[in-house]
Parts: sequence; structure tokens; C-alpha cells
Amino acid sequence: MTTLRKILKLRTVVSTSAGMALATSCYLAGLQVATILVGELAWISILVAGLFCLLSSMCFSELTSLYPTAAGIKLFIQNAFNEKAAIAIGMFYVILGISMVGAESFLLSSVLSGSFEMISPHFDKFFWMIIFILFVGYINYRGIFITGLVQDILTYLMIGFLILVSFYAFNLKGIDITTALQSSQFTLSNIIKAAGVGVFLYVGFEWVTPLAEETTNYRLIGRGMMIAIGLLSITYSLFVVAMYMGLTKEQLQSGTPIPHILFAQNLFGPTGMVIFIIMSILASVTSFNAGLVNTSRFAYAMARDNVLPRVFSRLHPDHATPWVSILALVIFAIAISLLILITGQYLFIILMAAALECIIYVVMALCVIRLRKKYPDKERSFKIPFGKLIPILTIVIFAGLAIGIFTDVTKDYMGNVLFSNYWVALFMVAFAIFTTLYTLLVVPVFKKKAAERAKTRKRRRPGRE
Amino acid sequence: MATEKEILDALADYQVQCNNNKRLRRMQRDWSKLLHFVAEDTGDVFTMNVVKGEIISNEAGAKGTPDIIVTTHSESLCDMFWGDLNPSQKYLDGEIRVKASQEDVVRLDAITMIIWPDV
Repeated sequence: MTTLRKILKLRTVVSTSAGMALATSCYLAGLQVATILVGELAWISILVAGLFCLLSSMCFSELTSLYPTAAGIKLFIQNAFNEKAAIAIGMFYVILGISMVGAESFLLSSVLSGSFEMISPHFDKFFWMIIFILFVGYINYRGIFITGLVQDILTYLMIGFLILVSFYAFNLKGIDITTALQSSQFTLSNIIKAAGVGVFLYVGFEWVTPLAEETTNYRLIGRGMMIAIGLLSITYSLFVVAMYMGLTKEQLQSGTPIPHILFAQNLFGPTGMVIFIIMSILASVTSFNAGLVNTSRFAYAMARDNVLPRVFSRLHPDHATPWVSILALVIFAIAISLLILITGQYLFIILMAAALECIIYVVMALCVIRLRKKYPDKERSFKIPFGKLIPILTIVIFAGLAIGIFTDVTKDYMGNVLFSNYWVALFMVAFAIFTTLYTLLVVPVFKKKAAERAKTRKRRRPGRE
Repeated sequence: MATEKEILDALADYQVQCNNNKRLRRMQRDWSKLLHFVAEDTGDVFTMNVVKGEIISNEAGAKGTPDIIVTTHSESLCDMFWGDLNPSQKYLDGEIRVKASQEDVVRLDAITMIIWPDV
């Protein structure tokens, strides 16, 4: 097999997978896990969530080994079911996925406005939100890519730093879990509930699958995802517990959106705060940038495939970037961010993202089962062992977690109910209806127009005119 | 099934179309890549050398270490170079497989889109 001049190594696959998941919103999600369970025991749910995600990563690995392409999720669903399902589910996943930017930009702006006051907290948040989204939008518009080496350095530095800080905090504060073990909150039901939210900590690990085209050994993608989940499990388990222990009761009760900054300040003073602010910016920029690259290319490809209006396939004349898609997504991200700024319901987006991931993992497991039945002899460089056991477990677990999320209520640290999670379910159902109707009613119109254009077009190939 | 000669003829036309398109040359002015096109049904391989957006050469056989490898049916290769096929659609259907970075995949598709915008 001919190899490429530039191929990705396992190191970069791991750093990309883990880097996608490491975002500013993860600290808050981690604290939410600690709030549902008992702070010192949050690591149990984080490890459980990691274990569940590991099962799902096996499904992604098998599918990627079958179809190693950036068209990934759409192609898996299309071949397992049909094109309509692929379009509806693909749009549902990608558009709802990008709404995570709303929570991320809100939290990053909270970090910055909480640290440098300019005019007023509300205006400062608005200002930083816009700056953040426009900055990442501009990077994408110019076609500036974060190289593998930069991604490696950033991700491994962040992971190493978080682990070191955690051990420092344990050493300083001491750790005692005996009281936590006796808490009435420490129940199996709460462990599972917290694990449902804990899935958010791993959101994006699977977005490394489009890189299959940049490797020569497709197994690297699967291996990379699994190592990334392992690294994230260890890092989050340590850091969330350390952060929980390092915050004062007043800080926990305040429902702060920037727990990691307060934790850094408590531990290291202003220097620590600055380091964590820089880390937050880097984590948010790398996650959002990668998300925007993937989403804008998805929109571009959908437009080329006559699923979205053709205007989304316009490329910039100098940078060859799909600027209309990027612009549309930037506007969408700003709109979601403003909505969160006005309502303050960033936890709504975090829960929606966790539920969305659960749903997609169920769909992927279904694809594995269906494709094995449809194409039993098609070459797979990786096949999940133990027959259908792991895909079925993935379906049962993640469907259960999604139901768990939807039937729960979101509370703050004081136990006050913030909102009932069925609102998250209702919003997602409404959006699913929208993408389904779009697929059934609008897409055929675009396809028909494209077919008519094709009919009038004369073929250029000699002998086939 | 398209023969090696048919594909080379298609490549020759593709080269003229690309190199004469000012808009494309401007967009791809920083793009220098060695591409391999593999016809999976016949086993034929073709090498295309692009330097600063200009197609310098097209030849049969696998020459050098490529930056991009495109694999598909010989008929699809031929249709693609004649501008009779939307490569994005075939790519999304899994009929065209590309080994390259995401940026290069978009740039490759951009060629067809700019030369034949109605495809």
C-alpha cells in the first residue's frame, strides 16, 4: 500500500481526541457530577462514564475501520439504514453539537470578565463572548489550521498540568473519603445519574474519526480514542475531586460558573489564576476551532450534495474555505451565546450535549449491528470482540443514561431546583422533528432541482454526450 | 471500465481546464501537492503533480510519495476528470475514497466546483 508523505501518528490521534474533549465547560460539568454525587467520590461516576464511553469508542472504531472517511457518521448511518435517516440524524447531531459553543463561550467570557473588569460584568461577558467567537471564526475563515504538533503540545501540557495540580492539592488539603462514603447522597442511583452528566466530560472524543484519512493504519483511530478516554478519565477523576476539595463552601454555594479559576486562586493566588485563564482560553479555542472546522466542512459537503442550499458550498476565492458555512455557524454560535447570556441557563446546554452524545452512541451501536448483518464479509481491520454483546450493552447503557438525564431535575449545590430536564428532551424532540421535516420536505426539492440541472447539462466525456 | 488511455485523455483535458482557470489558479496559488489516483477495478495508478496551483504533469504509474491518494472505480475517475460527476456526492456515498487532510479534500473538490460550477 502506498503511504502518504505526511501521516498522523498515534500521539496526535490521542491528543486530538482528548483535546476535543478538554474544554472550559468540562470543569463546570465536573462540578455538576460532584454535586449530584458526593464531591470526594465524583471520580467513581467519572470513571463509570469513561468506561461507558470506552464501549462506544469500540463501536466507532469498528465503523471507522469499515468506512475510514471524514464523511464518517453520515456514511455509517446511510449504509446501515438509508440516506434520509443519515441526513436527518447527521444534521441533528452537528447543529445541536455546535450549540455547545454557546455554553463554552459563556463560561470563557465568565472567566475573563471575572478576572478583568472593564465596564460592567454583563457587558464584559458580552464583549468577550463576541471576541472569542469572532476570533475562532476568523481563524477558520483564513484557513489557519492547528497543526498536529501544536495540538500535541497543548493537549499533553494541559493534561500534565491538571494532574500535577491535583496531586499538589491533595498533598496540601489531605484527602478523607470516609465521611463521603457515609453520605446519604452516595447511592447507586446517584452514581449512574452523575455518570450521565459525566458523559459530557468526554464529548468530542469521537470527532477524531475524520482523521482516519490521514493515517495509513485505521486501527490507530480506535486505539487513539481508547487511550484518550483513559487519559481523560484519570485527569478528570483527579482534578474534579481536587477542585471540589479546593473550593470553599461559600464558593461552592455561589453556583459559580468558573470553579477552576477560583480553585487556582485559592491554591496559587493571582499567578495560578492567570495560568488557568490562559489554559481556559487555549482549551476553548482549540475545541471550538476543531468543532467549527468539522461543522463547516459538513455543511459544505451537505450543500455540495444538494441537501443544504448551494450557497453554503461557496468557497473563499483566496483561502479556499467555505466562508458562507463558517459565517452562518458563527452567527448561530453568537445567537446561542446571547441566549445563554440572557437566560444564564448554560447547564441546559451541557445536559443537552450529554444527552445528544448518548443518543448518537446508541445510533452508532445500532449501525454496528445493522452493518454486520448487511455486510458480514466486508473487510474490517477492527471488529469488536464478543459478538453483539458490546454494541447491545452500549445501546442499553446510553439509552438508559439519556432517559436518566431527561427524567431528572437540575439542582444547584444548595439543592435548589434550577429546571426540570424534560425541557431538554422537549427541545431536542422539537429539533429532531425539524430536521426530519427538513429531510422529508425540503431536501427532495433541492435534489429535484439538481437532477433537472443535470438533465440539461451536456456530458463532456467523448462518446458519452 | 475506463482504459488507461481514456483516463490519461481525461487528465489532459482536466489539466487544460485547471491551468486556464484564473479563479482556480488564484485560490490554489499556495497549493503544491503530489496526487495519486488509483483505479481500483483495473489497478491503474496515475500521478498528478501540482505546483502552486498549476498542474505540471500527469502520468501513468505511481511516482514519488503522494500527499493525496484518491481511490475509486476507473469510470468514476474518468467522469470526474471530464467534469461529468460531482466528486462530493460520490465521496459522501463512499464511492470515492480519499487519503489526505480535510483541507486537501476540500481543495480537491473545489477544483471541480470552480471549473464546472453546475455539476
